[in-house]
Amino acid sequence: MNVSFNKRDPVYIQVVRQFKERIATGTFEPGQEIPSRRELANQLKINPNTAQRAYKEMEEEGLIYTEGNNPSRITKDEHVLAAVRGELLEEAVDSFMTSIRRIQIPFDELVEVMKEKYQEQSGKEGGEIK
Amino acid sequence: MNRYLKLVNFELGRFMKIYIALIGITIVSQLAAVIISSKSYLNNANQAIHVDRMTIEAFVEQYGKMSFNNVTNSILFFGPIALCVVTLLIYTLFIWYRDWFGKNTFIYRLLMLPTARLNVYFAKATAIFLFVLGLIALQLVLLPVERLLLQKMVPVDLRLDMTINEMIRYFDQIGVMIPNSFIEFVLHYGIGFVAVFVIFTIIMLERCFRLKGIFLGIGYGVLAFIVFFLPVFIQEFILFNYFYPAEIFVLMILTGLIVGTGSIWVSNYLLTKKIRV
Amino acid sequence: MIEVKDVTKKFGRKQVLKGVTFTAEKGEITCLIGINGVGKTTILNAIMALTPINSGQILIDGSAINKKSYEKITFIPDAITMLPQMTIGQSMQFMQDFYESWNQERATELLGFFKLKPEEKISSLSKGNTAKVNLLLGLALDVDYLLMDEPFSGIDIFSREQIANVFTSHLVEDRGVIITTHEINDIEHLIDQVVLLDDGVVVKAFNSEEVRENEGKSVVDVMREVYQQ
Repeated sequence: MNVSFNKRDPVYIQVVRQFKERIATGTFEPGQEIPSRRELANQLKINPNTAQRAYKEMEEEGLIYTEGNNPSRITKDEHVLAAVRGELLEEAVDSFMTSIRRIQIPFDELVEVMKEKYQEQSGKEGGEIK
Repeated sequence: MNRYLKLVNFELGRFMKIYIALIGITIVSQLAAVIISSKSYLNNANQAIHVDRMTIEAFVEQYGKMSFNNVTNSILFFGPIALCVVTLLIYTLFIWYRDWFGKNTFIYRLLMLPTARLNVYFAKATAIFLFVLGLIALQLVLLPVERLLLQKMVPVDLRLDMTINEMIRYFDQIGVMIPNSFIEFVLHYGIGFVAVFVIFTIIMLERCFRLKGIFLGIGYGVLAFIVFFLPVFIQEFILFNYFYPAEIFVLMILTGLIVGTGSIWVSNYLLTKKIRV
Repeated sequence: MIEVKDVTKKFGRKQVLKGVTFTAEKGEITCLIGINGVGKTTILNAIMALTPINSGQILIDGSAINKKSYEKITFIPDAITMLPQMTIGQSMQFMQDFYESWNQERATELLGFFKLKPEEKISSLSKGNTAKVNLLLGLALDVDYLLMDEPFSGIDIFSREQIANVFTSHLVEDRGVIITTHEINDIEHLIDQVVLLDDGVVVKAFNSEEVRENEGKSVVDVMREVYQQ
């Protein structure tokens, strides 16, 4: 993991967000083992207490789970996984909508441009619209 | 091995190179002194006997026999002793200051050792004491060797043999260092040890209070001197030969103990409460 | 916990510390920040009883420092605390001889971590490597508290990165760390508590995550507010 953090948001929230993105994109698979708080702190170059806090937060949100003394794992709970994806999508769309509203583009036009752009970018990346 | 002994060992090691050099210089120079003074005496004798046709008796009559005094008068003999004395005196100061100066500040480490800081102080004093004793032991070993060398070089009828004791007594500078009796030993080395503690205390005062400390140090030195020699001063100026010499001796042991323990106490206080890196 | 309570300190007529109060917890990294000459180093020296204070009190886990404390708390000054003529190996031996808390296993690990050779002489080391040896000698002690004076100043960027890695590794785990710095950028994400010093007093002490969470400010933002008033 190589992440650069911004300095104004709490680091633990930024870590949680990173995890959510990775869960949503499938980089982290359900049930996958995740690094210990020490390893995570070391990988991300953050304070171990912050890593601890991030894990606590994720545990509370049900994103990860720990059985006994074993390493923590990504949740297998379908509802949570779907919710993460939904949450990220909603966040992205929200911020997108805010910018769009500012320049007052009609919805139809917007959809057209979005389709074009999406195809263009996916084409570049060698993928296709799913 | 406890930390005090480890510290002594460490302090000895730090000065060992220079110390070994001092020993080397002393050995080489004093042996050279024996050889050169013997050679020059023999040259004179040869000149007188073979060229000037003097009898051996007449030569001895006029110039005296070769004795160890001819050697000890040579700068090559007492020079290295003076060098050792001066070096050790300077090192008595430097043994502390070297820890503060330079970009690698070892004093941090010494003060942060998990042991009483007084152990650092005692270790340094012990090191100085051992260095002095070592050099004196060296001299005691060297003297018979030098006498043997002299005897090998100068024929028996031209030389005056001396016992080691005589060699020492005739040479005042060594006489001070190699005492005759146990009492003299206690006195000389007692004074030496107390002097080292007083000097160390003056250094501590300077290290704690810097410029102000120099004046405090000088004041402390004067005070220590007065207290130590108080019996003598009282004898000379106040009570006029009131005490027997033995009483003076006992009183000076007492004042020496006072100055010594006082210095250690002050140093301990400064090291634990006032010292700064 | 290290408690610094209302500590004052004068150098001659200059009052360097005018009543400094803060605490540093075990398991946290506390960062003393202030422009140079503000007395950061003096505070660390005072905690270690390497300089006398004029008034106030300093407690380590509730008691004043004594000779045994040096097995429990150690200080890494900005200059190395060994003799220049010693090798790295000899320095480590010295530490092992004098400290019961010396952890040889960890020392060896650190040697590898920093890529240092035990036969190298202290006097021949680069600035960065000198700083690493200095750090090694402190970190290899199994102490509860670790004080570091400007661990990042005056060394090359790669050494800085290596040293920063130490902070996030098991080498610092669960210890209480106090570091001083005048340059926060590199380590903003590494520290827990921030103590801002100015003119001989603590002007603000805060938790860096909390200030981000509650006020949306970076540590530098807070510093800007405090120092530019």
